[in-house]
Amino acid sequence: MSENHQVRNLNALLEVAKALGGEMQLDNLLPIILQKTTEVMDADRSSLFIYDESTNELWSKVAEGLDEKEIRFPVGIGIAGDVAKTLKTANIIDAYDDDRFNPEFDKKTNYRTKSVLCMPMMNNEGNLVGVVQVLNKKDGESFGSQDENLLEALSVQAGVAIQRAQLLVAFVEKQRIQESLKLAADIQMGMLPKNFPAFPDRDDFDLFASIIPAKEVGGDFYDFFLIDEEHLCFVIGDVSGKGVPAALFMAVTKTHVAASTIPGVEPSDILFRANNDLSKDNDQGMFCTIFYGILNTKTGEVHYSNGGHNPPYIVREDGTNEQLDGTEGIALGVMGDMDFGVKTITLEKGDSMYLYTDGVNEAMDAGGNEYSYERLEEYLRSTAGKKSTEIVSGSLDDINSFVGSAEQSDDITVLMVKYTG
Amino acid sequence: MEIRDKKEGEVIILEPVGRIDTNTSGEFEDKIVEVLDRGETRFVIDLKEIDYISSAGLRVFLMAAKKLKSSGGSFVLCSMSDHIKEVFDISGFTPIFTITSDQATGAEAA
Repeated sequence: MSENHQVRNLNALLEVAKALGGEMQLDNLLPIILQKTTEVMDADRSSLFIYDESTNELWSKVAEGLDEKEIRFPVGIGIAGDVAKTLKTANIIDAYDDDRFNPEFDKKTNYRTKSVLCMPMMNNEGNLVGVVQVLNKKDGESFGSQDENLLEALSVQAGVAIQRAQLLVAFVEKQRIQESLKLAADIQMGMLPKNFPAFPDRDDFDLFASIIPAKEVGGDFYDFFLIDEEHLCFVIGDVSGKGVPAALFMAVTKTHVAASTIPGVEPSDILFRANNDLSKDNDQGMFCTIFYGILNTKTGEVHYSNGGHNPPYIVREDGTNEQLDGTEGIALGVMGDMDFGVKTITLEKGDSMYLYTDGVNEAMDAGGNEYSYERLEEYLRSTAGKKSTEIVSGSLDDINSFVGSAEQSDDITVLMVKYTG
Repeated sequence: MEIRDKKEGEVIILEPVGRIDTNTSGEFEDKIVEVLDRGETRFVIDLKEIDYISSAGLRVFLMAAKKLKSSGGSFVLCSMSDHIKEVFDISGFTPIFTITSDQATGAEAA
């Protein structure tokens, strides 16, 4: 190699390094690589094919001198495909003498490919990033060994720049997904009433609720409101699955249930209506288990319906407790026109109802043991004389100390309403 | 998750093993869709080796039942442990599925 050539090549490489160093966007990077490669290699055209590991294909967006569009082909097809497969450089004097060459592209673009130099691009870990191909050496000769050396140096730089850009795309995408999940979780939590005491001017009942969301957004919710002066509605629900779909379905369920609540109407009819609304166009098969109660604040009578939810507990003033009898009913959203039953239980002064989601009884310790109904009942027995705020917080503490360092996999939600007459 | 599948006469028998929860329900759903796409319409899902089903798992059964219903197929669950039966009972799902005690009666019902 003449000294002149060496200086030219070193300068060219330096220029490429500068051009690639500042560019992080893949879409901008590819034209720069092509332009520089064509220039430095003293070639007529260059192409760059990026390796898609998930489909084992090569794709290209830029073809210099032609309109931009994406082309894709499997590894193994054509000269570039073969180079990707064998990871061996192809240096061809006339493409038309090579079996791997596909002249279709020449015909379409009215071009005559002659000399071809085609090389795999590897990243730092030695994995294939893509294939670079230069066509028609300008002085009419084919590409020589010094061209091979130069293209190799170029493709090392290009490979690293492309990988860096790809990593950035993946990182930004991951950030975006995490942000949208966080947003979904915030919206979901924002829908739950959280100001306690919720009814500061009422001394005939006492209500508290709390939720500990799992790391990944889930679909637990609770709700409570006065239907009229004498009737308190309280609800707890758990949507199947996790993530944004569960958060959305939870929002829709909470809204439908509240909208179906009309003074004087039984819980069974309210759930029947809400279920029909939720079952329409529910192609994803989402559903929500729900417990719906109405407390008559004058008499202590509770009318309730259970749509496939874990049975709440009735907790007496002295801590003794038992699970409520179930009613006919299915999780909301499963199918329309399902019947729901209604039952009545009367709370004495000091009695409460403890509502929870399966995140409570199924909370797991590091050894894979469940918190279980037995532990929950034992805890509830220790709550004699306490207010609902204390019982709920104490319950979450008890679950926490049982779970220890194990990761929480499901939302944990508790709602308690105490009748104080 | 491991899901064994075998065919007895006209009936496809699936035997999932372990837990059907948020982590595995996607795989279980894919398996059911794959078998449905093969054109199978009579299913038995044997749950004798399932220790746990979460609500995400129940959703897969629901989706399968909906898909089969629209294509005129049938779907039977069998060999549930008491613990699994309780999950179906609590959620209110028991009445909407055909559930049998063992595989042989399941295959007849499918």
